[in-house]
Amino acid sequence: MAIAVFFVAAAMAVLGGIGVVAFHQPIRSVLSLVLVMLALSVLFLLLSAQFVFAVQIIVYAGAVMVLFLFVIALLGPARELGRGRLRFQGWLSALFVLVLLGLMWGLLQGVQYRQPDQGDLSFFGTVQSIAVGLFTTYLYPFELTSILLLVAAIGAIYLSRKRIDDL
Amino acid sequence: MSALNIGGSQLDASWFLLLSAVLFVLGAVGVLVRRNPLVILISIELMLNAANLALVAFSRQLVNIEGQLFALMSMTVAAAEAVVGLAILVDIFRTRDVEDIDDLSELRG
Repeated sequence: MAIAVFFVAAAMAVLGGIGVVAFHQPIRSVLSLVLVMLALSVLFLLLSAQFVFAVQIIVYAGAVMVLFLFVIALLGPARELGRGRLRFQGWLSALFVLVLLGLMWGLLQGVQYRQPDQGDLSFFGTVQSIAVGLFTTYLYPFELTSILLLVAAIGAIYLSRKRIDDL
Repeated sequence: MSALNIGGSQLDASWFLLLSAVLFVLGAVGVLVRRNPLVILISIELMLNAANLALVAFSRQLVNIEGQLFALMSMTVAAAEAVVGLAILVDIFRTRDVEDIDDLSELRG
């Protein structure tokens, strides 16, 4: 059962990923990415990461993707022209991607898995276990992340303000 | 090879890692061949998601919560990156229409 779920979700994710790259209209790329994120959230559930699953749906597929859709709606349907393409760019990127894929394949062949820690799988991945990690050992990175969000919000407001000479 | 027992079935951790590698490479293809700056940002999001999948898979394999914590951090960074990147794009598009990312190569408004 879990194997079937894995393969369906994996196929959806790969199809969505191909869609992100292949569709010519940005809005279709965004919707393909939403498909990828939903498929990945199913995989997170398989890996017993319930909290990450919820965050993936709410923050990623919800908020971030809606932000992309808003910007596309704001900017209007952008066309993508083939002109101005650098020579050999397609070949170079194909070569780069093949090398990258080969590198990752080689890495995966050499992965040596450590013995798993002694953990309680019924407790693993719950909100409680996440919170224990986040507010004890990793409190400092957590606070830094909140500062990062504040900086990003201020930066976005600064960048999208109305300039004096626009008025 | 490291089999994970999920709901009575045996899934291998390397399947998740392979899927993550494929998605990451697809995102890299998008960054390299697409011309629209918006689609390049979307492809970067795809790569970040692929990395998250690898983190969560390792976290499950080790039964160690730290991978999931790091995935949460990376989601936050991805959200911040999307916000700032889109704000820059909106700011550029306000003065002119960019159909090709190479139009921005001179770093001038």
